[in-house]
Amino acid sequence: MRFILTCLVLLYPSVSHADKFLDIKEVTSKSGIKAWLVEDSSIPIIAMKFSFQGVGSKTDSLEKQGLARLASNTMDEGAGELKSQEFQHILRNQSITLHFNISRDNFSGNVKTLTRNKDKAFELLKLALTKPRFDEEPLSRMKDANKSRIRSSLSNPKWMAARIQNDVIFKDHPYALNSGGTLSSIDNISQDDLREFHKRLGKNQLVIGVAGDISADELSILLDDIFGGMPIVETAKSKKFDLKNSGKTYLYKQDIPQTIIEISQKGVSRKDDDYHAAKLMNFILGESGFGSRLMEEIREKRGLTYGIYSYFREYDETNALHISTSTVNESASEMLALINDEWEKMRAHKVSEKELKDAKSYLIGSLPLSLTSTSSIASILRSLQLDELPIDYLDARKEKLNKVSLQEVQNASKRILDKEAFTTILVGNPQGFEKAEIITKLPNIE
Amino acid sequence: MKNLILTLAVFFFATSSFAPSFAADKVFNAKSYMLDNGLQVVVVENHRAPVITHMIWYRVGAADELRGQSGIAHFLEHLMFKGQKHERLGDLKSGEFSKIIRSLGGNDNAFTSQDYTAYFQSISSDEIERVMTMEAGRMRGMFIPLNEFSSEKKVIMEERRQRTDNDPRAQMSEQMREALFPNHPYAIPIIGWMHEIEGLAYKEVMSFYDKYYAPNNAILVVSGNVTGEQIFELAQRTYGIVKRGDIPNRARTKSPPFIAKTSIILEHSSIKEPIFRRTYRVPSARQNKQESLALEVLEDIIGGGATSRLYKSLVIEQKIATGISMSYNSASWNDGTLSIAATPSSYDKMGDLKSAINAELRKLINNGVTDDELLQSITRMQSEAIYARDSLSGPAMIIGYSLITGSSLDDVENWAQDIKSVTKQQIQDAARKYLNPDAPYKNPPIDGLLLPKIDEVKK
Repeated sequence: MRFILTCLVLLYPSVSHADKFLDIKEVTSKSGIKAWLVEDSSIPIIAMKFSFQGVGSKTDSLEKQGLARLASNTMDEGAGELKSQEFQHILRNQSITLHFNISRDNFSGNVKTLTRNKDKAFELLKLALTKPRFDEEPLSRMKDANKSRIRSSLSNPKWMAARIQNDVIFKDHPYALNSGGTLSSIDNISQDDLREFHKRLGKNQLVIGVAGDISADELSILLDDIFGGMPIVETAKSKKFDLKNSGKTYLYKQDIPQTIIEISQKGVSRKDDDYHAAKLMNFILGESGFGSRLMEEIREKRGLTYGIYSYFREYDETNALHISTSTVNESASEMLALINDEWEKMRAHKVSEKELKDAKSYLIGSLPLSLTSTSSIASILRSLQLDELPIDYLDARKEKLNKVSLQEVQNASKRILDKEAFTTILVGNPQGFEKAEIITKLPNIE
Repeated sequence: MKNLILTLAVFFFATSSFAPSFAADKVFNAKSYMLDNGLQVVVVENHRAPVITHMIWYRVGAADELRGQSGIAHFLEHLMFKGQKHERLGDLKSGEFSKIIRSLGGNDNAFTSQDYTAYFQSISSDEIERVMTMEAGRMRGMFIPLNEFSSEKKVIMEERRQRTDNDPRAQMSEQMREALFPNHPYAIPIIGWMHEIEGLAYKEVMSFYDKYYAPNNAILVVSGNVTGEQIFELAQRTYGIVKRGDIPNRARTKSPPFIAKTSIILEHSSIKEPIFRRTYRVPSARQNKQESLALEVLEDIIGGGATSRLYKSLVIEQKIATGISMSYNSASWNDGTLSIAATPSSYDKMGDLKSAINAELRKLINNGVTDDELLQSITRMQSEAIYARDSLSGPAMIIGYSLITGSSLDDVENWAQDIKSVTKQQIQDAARKYLNPDAPYKNPPIDGLLLPKIDEVKK
């Protein structure tokens, strides 16, 4: 059987699906709702991941920070005639995963079900999307849980550093708000606010990824059934902005043995011509974990940390390159000097041919590892669409990466890496930072 | 994070997530082989993507360390990436192992527990032979320069600061465990006490390695796009040439029965939200299979999610907690643990919270569970098995930690039928025996109270 298939691929490579990385179909319903689908009936599971673009926490107001988050927490707490416990009881007894979450940009949903329970799963999804109850009891329970989460996080230095980082690098932009709400803003949110928020969700904002045991025809009908009744809602156009407070260092003193270090500088857009060169450059610099230059110099050679990573974050309205690490208080300034050195080295010299070859080999070869479960395939289908990439991108990606030259990597380094622009957040009790701006109170907590 | 330590939290996924699908089916249809040198080889075929997960599990962990040498098992796990020499399986320089895996498009890592140490790679199925050759090469061929030893010690001290010393919750957990296992090696933290990590000598770590790392003290699990025959044949050519070791018997000291109830109280200036924790010693799957199955169902009914008894009663109805969860860790060589964690709805509700948990337990002990609760729970757990197959590394994880802690492959494969055999009576009996607030079993549970500094609490 395997032998025959192989022959077929060789004989008819252009018409066989077997030469495609992933056989993605675009399914369009009668009313025009689109989804990307990878059909796989080898396991009786269906996963659906979708996002309403532009309706994330950036739509929150200062007084009601946390509204989008609270809506995502309560939309699966009862819908239609079903109250919270009844709704949750069906989900649990039929082993259906159905929940919502938010990012700064998007409001997203996630459904996973066994094929045999699919009717119930999608019926409940439709109910949650179209007739959420937002009852007083689950709302107040979720408010309490969120306030409790905020207070618990106040003993987590990494969380504190992230809170300060978001506040300073996104200053004066809605991204700077606390997406999880503040202790007082959560109390400002009413049932009516949730109902108003719900009206912001429109079918025109949707991107949908589906994987597993479902056919294109069946999905097409299902799309109309679940989402067809939702309204069309215009959202504000996103406007690009540059990260704020570059070149500054902030210190939040905490009596702990280690200093948490979070650094940010401008990143690169997914649509940028240099994107693949930048991705390879950063893989060599700090994304790969073991083997990356930061990890080699700082952990392997000097034992200064348990881990150091650099990674890109792309938002609708800006982009960032972050570095995360921690070290014993006494070594914090040495650590920063070493990071600066690596930045300079990367800009000043080309990476070696072996470094580039290995980076390409990893970024190309590891892709199948992210496609090993039904949910992870649905996730990739959604993110390809969120990034506005073509449906054959996974096939084209290999060539795009392969043709990046040493010179292009260096060009990307020179264009992107900028140690003068670092915004540095320190949480702990480091020495030698007399010039740092001292943070006395965590922003947007109370 | 790299070189992760498996903590109890990781087992949350373990205990109730490997339920098989249809009663007659085996969960993973794994194939098992035995090499002449004593290495067990288990293969789960899964041809959905052209990739594999390859894991080697050693039957040695933190609880096998000599007194005064805490952290040695975990230290060794780090050093295994620092170079190897083998005349037939090849040499690798420090750091080269992971770099090669990465350059082949794969990921690798390792973790240490009380009872085992495991190393794994996820990678294209075309590279399986290379991976097996490299992993077999370091089974007895670890070869590290002395300077690597001292710089890695610094890394581990940073790891301890990051995981434990920066975090009052982790510090409290460490002390609770110390109290729960008097005179038993489970009392010692996996990462080790700072002063003992600092004092570890090169020779001590190497002698630990020589004593325990051998094919007859390990299990190989491969899942993914391979066949059983292919892996067995490759294993003979790679692992097969590694010599058997003389493995000492596990002789672990036992805890005497204690009678006093113990509470660990930590008032900490960075804590703004109090936390209640309680941990019981209960049987592991190896110690008592049927009781362990009953505890899995009990955990699901009492503490599993938004419609469980504890959540319904304490969070929704009585509003004395904002969150509560229960987790049972059955994958353990000696006693397993069952833990409850809850956040009181306000600082002064801590006492009520404890009483309410005890009241729920008494209700369970006196009245048991209902027919509906039992039936629904078993159906749920069986559905989980289908989900368990929907993963590359998940099956290798589940088989690995089950077998290495003394369960058989049949125990894993027949889990669906076995869980169906749990009765209401068994659940009630397990609750009465192990969770009775009025008559604690041999070693009473430890309560942990993590509190804000009292003068900082707004009254």
